[in-house]
Amino acid sequence: MTALVLTGLAKSFGALRVTDGLDLTVEDGEVHAIIGPNGAGKTTLIGQITGEIVPDAGRISLFGADITGWSVPQRARAGLARCFQISQLCAGFTAEDNVALAVQAGQGHSFRFLRPARTDGRLRIPARAALERVGLAARADTPLEDLAHGEKRQLEIAVALAMQPRLLLLDEPMAGMGPEESAALVALLASLKGSLPMVLIEHDMDAVFSLADRISVLVSGRIIRTGTGEEVRGDPNVREAYLGDEVPHA
Amino acid sequence: MSGALKTRGGVLVLLLGLVLVALPFVAQAYGSTYAITLATRVVIYAMVAVSLDLILGYGGMVSFGHAAYFGLGGYVVAILSFHLAEDVPIFGFAGTNEALVSLPLAMLVSGLAALVFGALSLRTSGIYFIMITLAFAQMLFYIFVALKYYGGDDGLSMPRRNLLAGTRLTDPASFYFLCLGLLGAVLGLMRAIVGSRFGMVLTGAKANERRMAALGYPVTRYRLVAFVIAGMIAGLAGGLWANLGRFVSPDMMAWMKSGEFMLMVILGGVSSLAGPVVGAAAFLLIESTISGLTQHWQAIFGPIVILIALYAPRGLWGAATGGRGS
Repeated sequence: MTALVLTGLAKSFGALRVTDGLDLTVEDGEVHAIIGPNGAGKTTLIGQITGEIVPDAGRISLFGADITGWSVPQRARAGLARCFQISQLCAGFTAEDNVALAVQAGQGHSFRFLRPARTDGRLRIPARAALERVGLAARADTPLEDLAHGEKRQLEIAVALAMQPRLLLLDEPMAGMGPEESAALVALLASLKGSLPMVLIEHDMDAVFSLADRISVLVSGRIIRTGTGEEVRGDPNVREAYLGDEVPHA
Repeated sequence: MSGALKTRGGVLVLLLGLVLVALPFVAQAYGSTYAITLATRVVIYAMVAVSLDLILGYGGMVSFGHAAYFGLGGYVVAILSFHLAEDVPIFGFAGTNEALVSLPLAMLVSGLAALVFGALSLRTSGIYFIMITLAFAQMLFYIFVALKYYGGDDGLSMPRRNLLAGTRLTDPASFYFLCLGLLGAVLGLMRAIVGSRFGMVLTGAKANERRMAALGYPVTRYRLVAFVIAGMIAGLAGGLWANLGRFVSPDMMAWMKSGEFMLMVILGGVSSLAGPVVGAAAFLLIESTISGLTQHWQAIFGPIVILIALYAPRGLWGAATGGRGS
């Protein structure tokens, strides 16, 4: 079964066609990277997949369900989890609180007014497990404000995992990270590989080529090539449009 | 929050509670019912301020129309009493003087108004939300000014206070303890709500709405429920207020009153349970002290508020506890 299918997706801002008849298929279980030069329309594409931006035309389907008209929360409840490029977490909450919010979201509605949530094992135990999975258990009780940049990226992933998603959308997870932190994150993502399909949008080509099963190249709002790392690297159109000197010589 | 700070806040809460409980006994010993009346006003305003803090402090919804629900609750109680006294049925209902009927009805009507106004207001955010909540409150204000049958501009008097399960609420100390007990219940409820799953979603949405949507929470629905709860509690307080002075008027829902409630919350400290109570007490004590000195008491009150805002940005309660409140 396919995880995500985009068909004829189009979005214009004024005269600018940011997404221009885009087709993309993400298979279940694969890590599918989307790369492209700045201004290719990656952010707008992510926005349309998550529901923050409404496309002008086209269809989006998630595991066979047409989610084109669905809101952001509806898509999240259908199993779409997203790691934001710039961390979007709740200030004033600890690392564990942030993950517990994600666990709670998966346990039905939250119109429960009396029982204390901060001592609820049904929330805290899965939250702690997700923190352990990303290597952040020691920082569970640390307020968000006191976490380092790299730790916030790890926390973003813990939050996404705690949602028990069916598809994980990673928007430049390596952004702003040092080489060591990047390597640790690549190892973490590699450990998740196979357990669920991932869409990876990333500028770090080392990370892309080491993680991705398939790569799609986005140029001017269209996918110009989809294939394995080898295929994409060898495609002259891709080289011309984007990669240039950035291609790591394997 | 460290244990020591929690203890400090706990000690202060205990002291505050003791003062509130002992007050009528001391006042009666000195034969002063004025002090009891003032304390009752503090307790009722505190109830409104606590309810406003649920949406303003914890929920991040700056409602500039909270007096609407306070005034509406007051009018429900006064109108029911009016119809009974005039022997004119309302919607086939003879009216009532029984608090066990009229106070829940006050909460119901205020809650319904909050549901409608909130559902419409929550489609906006930021300055637009402030303006639209203000606009709805002013709309209600002018409706009641125009309702000549219920006194219009001059307000509506109640011949007598309500009965509670058949007992007249005339005794100042007993009425005070009723209000204090209800404030205690409201504070207990707030404490539970803030720490519950619902409270997590409400405060999480204030911290990062985008994240909460991405987690799958339909944020507006949670905000609306908080808005309705706050409206219902304000309605209850309004019903008590109507009993206290045996009088309601459109001024109860005027924008000035909404501003006063916001001031109480900010003065005492937002996002805390004790803060709004302290804020309401400080507001009324300062007001009653300096309004005896000069007619232009607001000229003195304004600078006091500015000084508190400058030197205690987390409010009086925040300054007193040194922590994040309790």
